[in-house]
Parts: sequence; C-alpha cells; structure tokens
Amino acid sequence: MPKYTLAALILASASAAVQAQACVVEVAGGRTVDAADYRLAYRTQPQKIVIGRPFGMEVAVCAKAGGVIEGIQIDGFMPDHRHGMNYRPTTKSLGGGRFQVDGLMFHMPGRWDIHFDIKSGGGSVRLTDENVLK
Amino acid sequence: MIWRTAAGVAALMASLAVAHAAAPVEFSKAELAMLLSHGPWPVPWSGDPSNRVSRNRDAIRFGQQLFFDTRFSKTGSVSCASCHHPGMQWTDRRKLGMGLDEVDRNTPTLNNVRLNRWFGWDGANDNLWSQSKRPLLDPREMGVDEKHVGNLVRTDPTLSCQYRRVFGAAPGTDNERVMVDIGKALAAFQETLESGRTPFDDFRDALARGDRKAAAQYPEAAKRGAKIFVGRGNCSLCHFGPNFSHGEFHEIGIPIFRKSGGVDWGRYQGIKMLRASRFNLLGGYNDNPQQADGIFTRHVQLADQTFEQFRVPGLRNVALTAPYMHNGHFATLRDVVSHYSKIDPTQLHLAHIFLGGPDGLNEAPPTDTLLQALKLSDREIADVVAFLETLTEKRAQLLPPVVVDTACAPPGKK
Repeated sequence: MPKYTLAALILASASAAVQAQACVVEVAGGRTVDAADYRLAYRTQPQKIVIGRPFGMEVAVCAKAGGVIEGIQIDGFMPDHRHGMNYRPTTKSLGGGRFQVDGLMFHMPGRWDIHFDIKSGGGSVRLTDENVLK
Repeated sequence: MIWRTAAGVAALMASLAVAHAAAPVEFSKAELAMLLSHGPWPVPWSGDPSNRVSRNRDAIRFGQQLFFDTRFSKTGSVSCASCHHPGMQWTDRRKLGMGLDEVDRNTPTLNNVRLNRWFGWDGANDNLWSQSKRPLLDPREMGVDEKHVGNLVRTDPTLSCQYRRVFGAAPGTDNERVMVDIGKALAAFQETLESGRTPFDDFRDALARGDRKAAAQYPEAAKRGAKIFVGRGNCSLCHFGPNFSHGEFHEIGIPIFRKSGGVDWGRYQGIKMLRASRFNLLGGYNDNPQQADGIFTRHVQLADQTFEQFRVPGLRNVALTAPYMHNGHFATLRDVVSHYSKIDPTQLHLAHIFLGGPDGLNEAPPTDTLLQALKLSDREIADVVAFLETLTEKRAQLLPPVVVDTACAPPGKK
C-alpha cells in the first residue's frame, strides 16, 4: 500500500472519529435511538404516554457523518394492526438538530412504533422506536 | 399499597379458578389488567372549558326545559326528546331516527355523552354545544333556522328571563350567538346524563380490591364472556376504558348505502364538516381562551383510512339501546357479536374498493388487519352477550321533572 494512501486512511478514520464524537444528542429523561448514520434522543411530553390523551415530544438528532439535519417527520404506527394514528403531528425546528413536535395521540393499547423520518443531505432515513402501551 | 393490591389480585386469580372447579374462568395477568382498565365508574369529570355555562345549575335547568320544548321545531311538534327519549335511554328504539322526516342514521344514546371526544356518528363536531344545535337546523329533524330560535328566545318572557339569568344579559339581536348559547344550555343539561353503576362495576371493583367473595357473585357466563372481550376477542382495544370506547372511528363492515340514496362516507365527511364549521373548538365561540381543547381538531387527519368509518360507541347500558350500529343494522346484541364472529376482512372497505372514495378520489383501501373473524361457538356468543348485559344498570335512573326557574315562571306558576 502506498504511503500516501495509508496516511489518507488514517486521516479519514481520525476525522470520522471526531465527527462520531461530535454526534452526541441528549434529552433529559428521554430515550435514545441509535442507527448506522444517525443518533436520536426524544422525550415525550408528558413523559408517560396515556392512551387517548394528546402528547408532544422534544427530539434531538444528529448525523454521525456530520451532515445538517434539515427536518424531521414523526408518525405512529401499530404494526400488529397495520394502521397508524388518526392525527398528524406538527414539527417546529428549534435549531441545532432539535425539534418540538405536537399533536400526537395513540388511541389504542398495544405496540406502537414511533417513526422518525430524518431529512438530511437531500435524502430521508427512518429511525423507529417501539413503545408498548397498556 | 400497590404491591398489596397486586398480591390480592393474584390470590384472587388463583382462587377464582379453584372456586369454580366445574367451569373455572382464569384471567391472565394481561386480561386482568384490561378488565381493571374498564373502571372505576363513574369517572371524575370537571366540566367543559369550551362552554362557560357547563355545570351551571341554572343552565342545566334551562337546558332541560329546552330539550323538551317542541316550539324549537318548524311544526311545533318535535323536540330533542322526540328522538332522545328519556324513557328509552335517550334513544328512540328505531333503526333510523325520525324527526320531521326520517334521517340516515340511528339515534345514539346521550348517556355519558360528556365523555366524548367527537360527537355524532361521524364526529362532525368536536364539542357538545355545537352538536346540540345541529338537529334544530336540520330540515329533517327540527327544521328551524337561527332567526326562529332568536325570535323565540327574545319574545317568550320565560325563555328570555332564563337566558338572562344563565348568560348574564338579555338575548341580543345576533341570532347566531343566541343559537350557540341555546346549544350551550342544552349541552349543560346533557352533560348531567350519566349511566349508573352496573354488575360489571361491582365485579371489577371486587377484582381491584382482591375481594374473592364479592367477585364470585358475578355470573359465570359473564366471566367467560369478559375473558373473550378483553382477551382473544380484542374487543377492548376499541371499546377501551371505563366508558368502553376509545372515542375514535372504525370501519367494521356495516353496509354504508343510505336508505335515502348514496354512500354514507362517515368519518371522512365528518372531518370535512368539522373543518368547515365556525363552531368548532378553533373558532370564536370556544369560551376557553387558550383553545387547548382544540388540539385534536387542529391535528386530525383527513386520510383515506377514514372512508366508511363511524364512531365507536360506549357500551354502558348497551342492552337497553337496540338497535345497533350507525344505521341500526343489527336488532340484537347477539346479532352484533355474531357479526364479529364471522366477519370477513375481504368484505371491509367495499365502497372504498369499488368507488375509490368520495370526492372523485381513487385511493387504495387501507390494509389494516385488526378485524378478523372470532369464530365463536354459539355458547361463546351467548357468553359475550351475557357479559355485555352486565354493563347495563339493573334499574334505570329516573329523570328529575322539568322545573321552571321560579324567578322566571309565568304569573300563577311561581
């Protein structure tokens, strides 16, 4: 392997490490979702999701490769029944990869997957977190 | 405290199985949790913030009087109580309601209506006062207009006096505002219509406190039916909580062609009407300045999954509110349970499949899989019916007589 290629590889991996370290998201008292390219943390408001009651969400997300988070869309889905929510939440960017989401409501007990569709670099990636409501 | 209750419940689960060796009914932990979630009853309720006269004693009395007053109909022959009859659990026992003419839907009970999130079979209203004025203006129900209502309230000395006492000023010349206020008084009255405790509530509370002897009083058939209801029947997923409804909408394979012609698109049409209404919780007649109660209206989705959907009704006093479904399609509870027993998922969303949807849309039908045939035996159907019958009060409550506010009573009646 030529010397310059090795040097470039070392540089690249060092740079990736720095970027990975930079991708730190924290939402006090929240849950985290880690995927190959993104890391996300969220906390529901109120913290306990109650069936039939509206709730909001604070979300923080970052790209491990260091890209800008252009937007996020949240939705709920019951995989066991193959249906989603009856409500469409609204999302407001707070800057720096943080978002405030309002207007969610889970109307049934059972497993709800929360879908986070992250828009970054002209594309969209879905992260999913599972919640079971009783 | 919690672990002691849990221990009591666990002990009770075991003992229920032992006590009825011939036909033991054992509830799993999940089934037991679901049973407990159907209570306690009644549920606390603190009033409707969108209605400034909610829980106001004078408003309740005024609303009760308005509810039975036939002068608010075009012919002077129909009142709210003509369809929502107090002696019939606030229904009329007809398949389709009949005001001045027959309408397209069954008359729902008003029991526990204050717990609704959405009003009407299609949820076209997000508050009870707006829903209450709707039948007055419908040509097939009471058939009057706002001018008729405004004139009547302004010119009748008793009505005018009661209006002033409730709303703090004489009825003005703005007929729309007077109409809305009449809706708010009617709502204040209907908010008081609460069904009483039932044999199921006694059973549920006995389970909650680990009272084996009291729980044993509940009929065995009802216990078997309850197990299906909260277990493999999945009924509790939609008929959720103390009022046995999650307050949302579903398509369950009931024919949706109107007797009067055309398709009843249910919730889809309801959302469109809700959004177009000046009287929803996002409008100027909401007495709650923050309009926080309008969050559902702000976020509700006009999605293709709403085609052919109707509101999931509560089940309290259900044995007394036949016929059932949005168009009175089923005459008995047995018919209803049999429907779920043999439901064919391929027969759902039929209008959607063949017509594509309302408004010229051509949307693919939903792929939800919640409804599957329960394949119940005759005995199991009877058991579920036995359970549903225990959601009904043993003795129907009597409505207090209409009492005119003495300060407003005509001379000679004070």
